[in-house]
Amino acid sequence: MVEIDPTELEIAELGPKITDVDDADELREMLAREEDGEDRAPVTTLIEDRIETVEGDDGEADPESVDLSELTVADIANMVRDIDDIDVLEDLLEREKAGEDRKTAKSQIESRMESVEGSDDEDGDGPEYVPPEEKHPDLDHPTADKQWVEGTQDGDYRDMWVYCETQHGELIDVSREMLGKGRELMDDYNDQYDESEDLVAVLIGDDVADLAEEVIAFGADKVLYHEDDRLDRFRHNPYTEIMTHMARAGGQLAPEGYEDVDWKAYDEPRYTVFPATNNGRDLSALVQGELDSGLASDCSGLYIENAMISNPAKTGVPGDSKEFERILHMKRPDFSGFEYSTILCIDKPFRDFHPQGASVIPGSFEVPEPDDEREGEVVEHDMDLDDEWFAVDVVDYDTLDSGVDLTGHDVVVAMGRGIGRSPTEGIELGLELVEAFDDAAFGLSRGVITSSYSFDGHVEQYIGEDRQIGESGQVVEPDVYIAAGISGAIQHKVGMDESDTIIAVNTDPDADIRDFSDYYIQGDLFEVLPRLTRAVEEGDLAAAVAGASDD
Amino acid sequence: MTDDYEHYEAVVVGAGPGGAAAAATLARNDIETLVLERGTDAGSKNVSGGLVYAEESSPYTIDDLFPDFREEATDRAVSEHYIHNVAGRSVKTFDLHDLHHHDTEWADAVLRRKMDSWLARRVHEMTRETGGGLLTEVRVNGLLREGGEIVGVTCDEVDPIRADVIIGADGVNSELARDAGLMDWEEPEEWFQGVKAVVDMPEGAIEERFGVDEGEGVAHLFSGDLFEGARGGGFLYTNDQSLSVGTVFHLDSIAEERHEPQELLDNLLTHPLLADWVGDEYTELEYSAKLVPDSKKVAHPSPHRDRLLLVGDAAGQMQAQGPIIKGMNHAVTAGALAAEAFVDAKSRGDTDKAGQHYESKLETEGVMDKLRPTRYATLGKLGELGPVDSLSDALVDSPVGRLGVGLLGDSLERLYNSPFLVGMLPDTKLGYVTLPTVIAEELGEPVAGENTVEPPELDDRIGDLTYDIDEGNPHIELRDNSFTASGTAVTACPVSAKDFGGGCYRDEYVTANGGEEHVVSLDTQPCVECGTCAVVADTDWTHPRGGKGVEYKQG
Repeated sequence: MVEIDPTELEIAELGPKITDVDDADELREMLAREEDGEDRAPVTTLIEDRIETVEGDDGEADPESVDLSELTVADIANMVRDIDDIDVLEDLLEREKAGEDRKTAKSQIESRMESVEGSDDEDGDGPEYVPPEEKHPDLDHPTADKQWVEGTQDGDYRDMWVYCETQHGELIDVSREMLGKGRELMDDYNDQYDESEDLVAVLIGDDVADLAEEVIAFGADKVLYHEDDRLDRFRHNPYTEIMTHMARAGGQLAPEGYEDVDWKAYDEPRYTVFPATNNGRDLSALVQGELDSGLASDCSGLYIENAMISNPAKTGVPGDSKEFERILHMKRPDFSGFEYSTILCIDKPFRDFHPQGASVIPGSFEVPEPDDEREGEVVEHDMDLDDEWFAVDVVDYDTLDSGVDLTGHDVVVAMGRGIGRSPTEGIELGLELVEAFDDAAFGLSRGVITSSYSFDGHVEQYIGEDRQIGESGQVVEPDVYIAAGISGAIQHKVGMDESDTIIAVNTDPDADIRDFSDYYIQGDLFEVLPRLTRAVEEGDLAAAVAGASDD
Repeated sequence: MTDDYEHYEAVVVGAGPGGAAAAATLARNDIETLVLERGTDAGSKNVSGGLVYAEESSPYTIDDLFPDFREEATDRAVSEHYIHNVAGRSVKTFDLHDLHHHDTEWADAVLRRKMDSWLARRVHEMTRETGGGLLTEVRVNGLLREGGEIVGVTCDEVDPIRADVIIGADGVNSELARDAGLMDWEEPEEWFQGVKAVVDMPEGAIEERFGVDEGEGVAHLFSGDLFEGARGGGFLYTNDQSLSVGTVFHLDSIAEERHEPQELLDNLLTHPLLADWVGDEYTELEYSAKLVPDSKKVAHPSPHRDRLLLVGDAAGQMQAQGPIIKGMNHAVTAGALAAEAFVDAKSRGDTDKAGQHYESKLETEGVMDKLRPTRYATLGKLGELGPVDSLSDALVDSPVGRLGVGLLGDSLERLYNSPFLVGMLPDTKLGYVTLPTVIAEELGEPVAGENTVEPPELDDRIGDLTYDIDEGNPHIELRDNSFTASGTAVTACPVSAKDFGGGCYRDEYVTANGGEEHVVSLDTQPCVECGTCAVVADTDWTHPRGGKGVEYKQG
């Protein structure tokens, strides 16, 4: 008879109740009932777990007399953990060999013997290498046929390599940021470890040689570049092949014909840093995978220091901590963004994890000041690119609308809520003034963009957040900034007050903008702007403004 | 599968004094407690006039719950309390000593950023021990329900969280209270709106100008004719190195008469009475605003539903009766009682009863009677009925009434000091404007000082605030942009004004369908999240996401 009939209960109810049942027979009966009834998998698991717990409590097996064939390997593992007597362990091993002779059981006993006795290796070579296929014969080894899955061992690593991504033949900002950070890291590194390792910039593309000087100015000691017309757009196959090829040249895994190169004499880079852009994430994962190392993706902080590690998978010796030198610490925000994790990529016995690789979130580091005096070595990398790598071709592409760029113009004409009386006409007048200049852009204050003004269709396209100037919009510093009907609140001011000459048109003589304008024209923009437009067309804006200004 | 959601025994929403008191009491009782705060730091979203009380009759005070509170988190201990009846330059001052000290263990001036962030650090330490903790920059945006029952909260930043009890301490604009249907934003007469300027003081100036010792402070209240007839008053409290100067008015008064709250504040700041206190060098550190519930009308008699228990402003627990202005102490008591109620319910094996226990504790511990005095319900409301009010208004202002005021003279001071009478005052012009004005005219002396203060314009006040704008995600949306529906916000919003283009609400005329329409447009960038427009305009009102929006440095 059982007190609790599992078939009458939900699993949530059963969970707390079952912990009160200590009788294994009763539990078995409950199990039988459930199996006869709905036979719900979570319920049977729950009951079975409980049976195991209850029986486990039923006295510890005496290792000197226990019948090993009745124990699972897990039971044996638990049992041997408490045995410190080497003779008992030897006896157990003999009995297992004579009985079931389970390999896993034997290894459990042996490893305990090893811990008790200390390592057999008098000369302290550490553990013996067992290839994974032998160590885990029960698993399939999908990576066994990967050419370099064992990667490097006790390799020689040097330098920090930075993959410098380009777009339309220009370095993107994150490339500069990584070079700046890399320079800083390697300067400290060379100081701390008394080395002279380099910061190496990698450039791949159809027309990248010209960027070598800029890359050096931002901090690289050496530039490795590969040019080919077919590399005009990022395609991960050839890009990966090239970068991997570069990384292996001159080392123990060097491709044929590249065993000796004059620009590199080590196995693989010590560190690699990639941008965490769309293409950079793609490339970083592939390259690090090919090089049989790890990758900390989307990092926001990097530093190099020694690390004390106690994980036996890394040290090879359980229980001991070991100091690993020159470890790149890669800090990344975790999923919630509340915390940071620091990722370390550390060699383990019989398998090196180099290069220690990271991808870096754009904007994490400062863009350094370029030093045009810096000198560096430029190396053109040369290899044959297999046509098959280009089997995937880019047949079409589109440029995403990046909005309106108000920066980099000689003149910016910006309109504020002074247009409220007749918004469409106000915009027209502003656009006419823009037209009159050779190189002017048209901007708006936030007040116009967030208004409920109704604009006629032909000017509507000019009303949008992409034209906003100010704290939450664009920051401009043209030669001439014309602010029409803008009062000049601080949020607007920070977007334009670096302009060389500021001309304000406003009906309100107390408007803040007067305080930071070079010329203030008191008047209605609907009257003043047409006159300014005429003056520009006639080529005497300066005179017109100076004449009209009160300041 | 909702079973996958993280579960805590208690989730406290909001790390103000109510939430902190609840969390501390829960943690003391080993309840696993998670506290969620939407600000970038506790206190960064909070504003108060600035006096926190410890009442002798209260079962909990904040320094009981947080030892060292007064040393670490408050400014000056307020020992003197005055009310000034003002008519033009004429001022009659009453000492509110007896009222102030009635049932008062202590009263300290506070700035909320300093106070709340200190509390939050203690709360984090305490709740961490229980397996929880305090997370900032997480905005709870609603209630998690299962089968119609409230079982947890949903957030902008993290997955829904289940809990056995949810303490809604999310302030006057509580989204939880509204989600649960316990509070609304319908009637302007149920709310006050306060605006405040924190004014910098040079070292030693407070001691010299107010005649107090270091660490000691003063509270001044102001009523009379200096607020253009708006029903409400002003206050000035001394902090360590600054003054909190503010005004609080019935929101319906602000709304109906189209007052500009920032201008009413300026009326106080520039009054000659303040000249000597504020001095010649006026530096405004921060401009802020908040709604205040009128507990007489909205303190919820049964502030709970399912597993949700509301405390503090979220439950309307803010006592403002004439010169008595107490909110934070009631929030603390309610928070601790709510926690206690859950602990009781848990030990009796039925956590679903926490709400009922909480409700009866509010009654038996006397909190409800302070918040909704029965004498107001019978007498005060009578005075608010039109004819009675205008009759007494006219009476006081009549020669006979004036004679009465003159004869009563300083014995009026005694009447002002009666908590019983003050609790009965109707919310009419009589108490706020007419009587104080007549008192000042009949009994007052002219003040001599010349006030040279030039308070900053609204655009500079906004410009000096710190914001983290959530571009592209405005947290308030206008449901009806016609001026008829939402135009009141242009004046009533403390960061908007008529003819000011840099505020939240701007009135505009647009041509549509051949005619001209009077509309309002909304830009939430300058929003200080006070909630005024939720009441006076037709909006979908929410708080910004965690960490976004305004960040008060003083509070």
